[in-house]
Amino acid sequence: MTEVTSAYRAYRQWVTEPLEGPPVVSVVIPAYNEEWRILPTIGAIATHMSSRGEPWELIIADDGSTDSTVALIQDLRFANLRLLIAEKNAGKGNAVRRGMLAARGSVVLFADADQSTPIEQFDRLNALIHEGFDVVVGSRAAEGAEVSGKSLSRRILSGGLRIVVSKGFGVSVSDTQCGFKLFTADAAKTLFSMQIVEGFSFDLEVLYLAHKLGYRTTEVPVEWIDAPGSTVDAAKVSMQFLRDLMRIRLFDARGRYQNVDSQAATRGARAAVAANEKGTRA
Amino acid sequence: MIIRTESGPSLSIVHLVGRFDAHEAEGFRRTVEPLLSAEHNVLRLDLSQVAFVDSTALAELVRLQKAAKALSGEVILVELSDPVRVILEITDLAGIFTTESTSAESP
Repeated sequence: MTEVTSAYRAYRQWVTEPLEGPPVVSVVIPAYNEEWRILPTIGAIATHMSSRGEPWELIIADDGSTDSTVALIQDLRFANLRLLIAEKNAGKGNAVRRGMLAARGSVVLFADADQSTPIEQFDRLNALIHEGFDVVVGSRAAEGAEVSGKSLSRRILSGGLRIVVSKGFGVSVSDTQCGFKLFTADAAKTLFSMQIVEGFSFDLEVLYLAHKLGYRTTEVPVEWIDAPGSTVDAAKVSMQFLRDLMRIRLFDARGRYQNVDSQAATRGARAAVAANEKGTRA
Repeated sequence: MIIRTESGPSLSIVHLVGRFDAHEAEGFRRTVEPLLSAEHNVLRLDLSQVAFVDSTALAELVRLQKAAKALSGEVILVELSDPVRVILEITDLAGIFTTESTSAESP
C-alpha cells in the first residue's frame, strides 16, 4: 500500500479532468521513434508539473514515428495531453514548431523526450520569465551547469561551434542547442512562425531571430545527463550545423525573414506605449 | 545514484538515492543481485528518494523480480516517490510488484 500524496492527487486530477480555461504553462515534447523513452519522461513531467498547482498542458509533437510511440501515447488517454501526429518524418524543427504554435499557455517550454534535463529545472527558467525575460535557455555551458556523460569529442565540438555562433551570429547565449527552452507565449508564436529550418539547428535560428527582434533572452545553467543510446553522430551533426549556419545567413540576406524588421518595429512601438502609459499612471 | 544496502537474517533492504537510469543499471545489478539467494529471497527496495527511472532501470527492476520469483521470493518496492509511482503506473508495471508504505495517508 502506498500513501497518496498531494502531488499524486494533483497528477490524477490532471490526468482525468480537462482544464476549464487556458493553461498557464504548455510543455512541448518532440518525439521521433521514442517508444523506449517517452513514457518515463511523460510520467516525470506530469508528476512535477501537476504538483506546481498551475493549470498546464502537455503537447507531444510526433515527427512521423514508425515505432509504437503514437500508440503508447494514445493509450494513455490523458485529459490534458494533446498528441500532434505527423504523417511523415520532417525533422525536429518541424515537430517543435507544430507543438509551439499549438500551445495555449502563457509560457511554453520545449523539452527533449529523453528527460536529459530533469523537469525540476523548469522552475529556475520560469523565475526568469517572471523577471521580464521573453526567452530563457537551459544551458550546459553556463557557469554552474552540471553535465554528466558528455564525451570529450562532443565537448570539443560544442566549444568550437559556440565560438562560431557567438562571433558570427551575435547570439549571446553560450549553449544554443540544449533541448530545454522556455518562451513567453508572444515570443513562441512570433519566433516559431518565422522559423524555416526544419532540422536540429532550428534552435539557433530561433535564437538568432529572437536577437534580431529584440526579445530579452538569457540562459540558466542546468543539470544535464547524457541520455544513453543516443545515435547522434557528433561530427556529422556538427557539419550539418555549420551548413545550417550558412543557410540561416543566406535566408536573412535574401529577405526570408522580412517580417523581422516590421515585427521589431511593432515591438518597439508597443514597448514605448507601455512605458509612456506607465509613466502617465505614475 | 547512491546505493546503500542493509542485510538482515531473512531479507535485505536496498536504499536508492538519485536518478536511476541506464548509466546506473550495471552498478545496480552488480550491487543488488548478490543479495538474492535461496535463504535471502525477499528484497525490499526503498525508492523514496528516486526522482526518475528510465526504461533501462525499469527493465532492471523487472529482471530482479524474475530472479527473486525463481527463488520463490519477491522484490518489494517500499516508499515509492511520486514520479516513480506514476512511471510504474503508466508503463503498466505497477502490478508486478508489491508496494509498501510505512507513512500514514496524508489528509
